[in-house]
Amino acid sequence: MIVAERKSIPDLVEILQDHKKILVLGCGTCVTVCLAGGEREVSIISSALRIASNIHGLDFEIEELTIERQCDNVFIEEATDAINRNDAVLSLGCGAGVQALAERYAKKPIYAGLDTAFIGILEDRGIWAEKCAACGACVLHQYGGICPITRCAKQMLNGPCGGSREDRCEVRPDRPCAWQLIYHRLKGIGQLERLTEIAPPKNWEPGHGGGCRVIVREDHRI
Amino acid sequence: MTNKPLNIVLFYCANALDAAALRKNAGETGADDIKTVSLPCSGKVNLLYLLKAVEKGADGVVVITCHHGDCKFLEGNLRAQKRVEAVDALLFESGLGRGHIRVIQKNTENGVKHIFEEIENFKNQIRVSSGR
Repeated sequence: MIVAERKSIPDLVEILQDHKKILVLGCGTCVTVCLAGGEREVSIISSALRIASNIHGLDFEIEELTIERQCDNVFIEEATDAINRNDAVLSLGCGAGVQALAERYAKKPIYAGLDTAFIGILEDRGIWAEKCAACGACVLHQYGGICPITRCAKQMLNGPCGGSREDRCEVRPDRPCAWQLIYHRLKGIGQLERLTEIAPPKNWEPGHGGGCRVIVREDHRI
Repeated sequence: MTNKPLNIVLFYCANALDAAALRKNAGETGADDIKTVSLPCSGKVNLLYLLKAVEKGADGVVVITCHHGDCKFLEGNLRAQKRVEAVDALLFESGLGRGHIRVIQKNTENGVKHIFEEIENFKNQIRVSSGR
């Protein structure tokens, strides 16, 4: 899922200070699961903004709404009335959701209430970790399902680097060494021989370096 | 300080505190308005309950929990503490400052008396910080 975290209340106040009627719009998908922008967080952030508004004399009138998915026009449609009756929208969706709203409502200011962080999973209660860099050319099959691009601080395809200490990454001692994980995983599934192969330089062309990426499926365009 | 009455919202774990004792002691807190909210466990309290209390005009919010290690549901009091810390940080971010919310743990030796002494300390702290 896409993992995000909320911007600070002073940042949100600065973003919204020129508006009075504000819709705080949540998203019921990824950002709900990562506890950043779902129905509950909409209420919490709205409440904090009302308190800040009282203290700073900003006169905010805040409406709350959460739709199923902000990155899909079918669901955005449900928010049309609420968007129209407010001066601005504070989206608690990911960056894709904010831009989907901005593209659809050309004359309405749409602001991001979250910082979209990464594609990851819930590792433990209250801990989310990055697992995928969306590099566009997946190599997971070669590394036992553990991504050296995302989880190795040095993005080594021919690791390990030799700097790990007690299974910890030398760059991020709070994280396990990805290459130790890869070794144990390949050993566990009987594919250790994969480590004898030298991986060629990765093809970064499908990555983000070439600008905005688009996938076209002609079979779905008619 | 003007000694203006304070609005205090008091969330309490029903396993830590007897409602009758609470009513009796809450009635002895002078002119201050103390609203009490009973919870089946202090771990039931969530960020929104606490924020809404402040949003609706509370000068201070207190969450009364069982003593550490005594929670009937094992870790409800620990969760309450974390949530209070999160709301304290949010109130700080909102511009209200810190110290408008706190946890009072039931003290097994002094019971209710200790709790109301702590509430009085809390109220004095709010009066000093807000100039009331």
